[in-house]
Amino acid sequence: MKIVAAKRILKMNDQLAAELRDKFDKSSVFVVNIVGSPGAGKTTLLEALFAKLQNSIRPAVIEGDIAGSIDAERMEAIGVPVVQINTEGACHLDAAMIASAVQEFDLTKIDLLFIENVGNLVCTAGFDLGEHLRIIVLSTSEGDDKAVKYPAIFQGSDALVITKIDLAPYLNFNPLRIAADMKRLAPNSPIFQVSALKGEGMPAAADWLSARVAEKSNREGVV
Amino acid sequence: MHELSIVEALIEQVQEEVRRAGVEGKIAKLELSIGRLSGVNADSIRFAFDLLSSDTILAESEIVIHESKAVCRCNSCRSETEIDDLLSQCPRCASDDIAIDGGRELLLQSIDVEE
Repeated sequence: MKIVAAKRILKMNDQLAAELRDKFDKSSVFVVNIVGSPGAGKTTLLEALFAKLQNSIRPAVIEGDIAGSIDAERMEAIGVPVVQINTEGACHLDAAMIASAVQEFDLTKIDLLFIENVGNLVCTAGFDLGEHLRIIVLSTSEGDDKAVKYPAIFQGSDALVITKIDLAPYLNFNPLRIAADMKRLAPNSPIFQVSALKGEGMPAAADWLSARVAEKSNREGVV
Repeated sequence: MHELSIVEALIEQVQEEVRRAGVEGKIAKLELSIGRLSGVNADSIRFAFDLLSSDTILAESEIVIHESKAVCRCNSCRSETEIDDLLSQCPRCASDDIAIDGGRELLLQSIDVEE
């Protein structure tokens, strides 16, 4: 007997992610999944964003790492509520991990929840975590050819943040090349060029993100 | 190696589909469709499947993987072309004003049960 299924293989993950998104919506928490390679500067970008947003938005972070709690300690040091997930070898976060991590938070005290995914450009692409936005972080030192080499993660992202832009003069990184690839893969996703350490480009990225959060809460206010 | 988690989910899903169809027996064949741009490797899926299916009803199942293509839509000549890899230009008119769609699917298409 032949059973015709024609269903997504990660259906269970997707269902759980949809339930999480619903829960986040009901609690008015805007959720952003941050993906990128190890060392791309995801945690440093979060630190710089929080410095800009902390007065207007109540943030929290879920840190996903294979081992250790170095990133979570960095968030604690700047006073941001944080839950560390150790995947014990797994190369990505999935919706079930987020569901259990979220229980550690009081969602009524959070406006913006960042999920910092495990550093990986391949495996994180297929797993919906219930987020509203996915942001891909790419550092100039990784090279401008990454969208061609790892299309899935770029294709599904709502914005690209190019970090360490202050190093670009010393590297062979052409922002126009990655912009052209993004235009093919994700034509509606904006690109920000920043130096999280020096502050260059951060206001534009932070303003864009607060506008997305405000847009979402306004829309819910109407409904 | 996210193929391991994908195959774990696949095996659970097959067991659920078979239970729901109310049939019993071993699985003879599975057909999957994997997009060329999905970042999922067909050989790794097969490897993970051999590893994880051994004590299940899927133990001796054949696994057939169709690799689905992405579509290149050209804004200049308005053509739509199926493509295997990312392109920078329209394969018809060489315009670089193109958008790439799809190729990210990860589907369980069908299950053959030996009754």
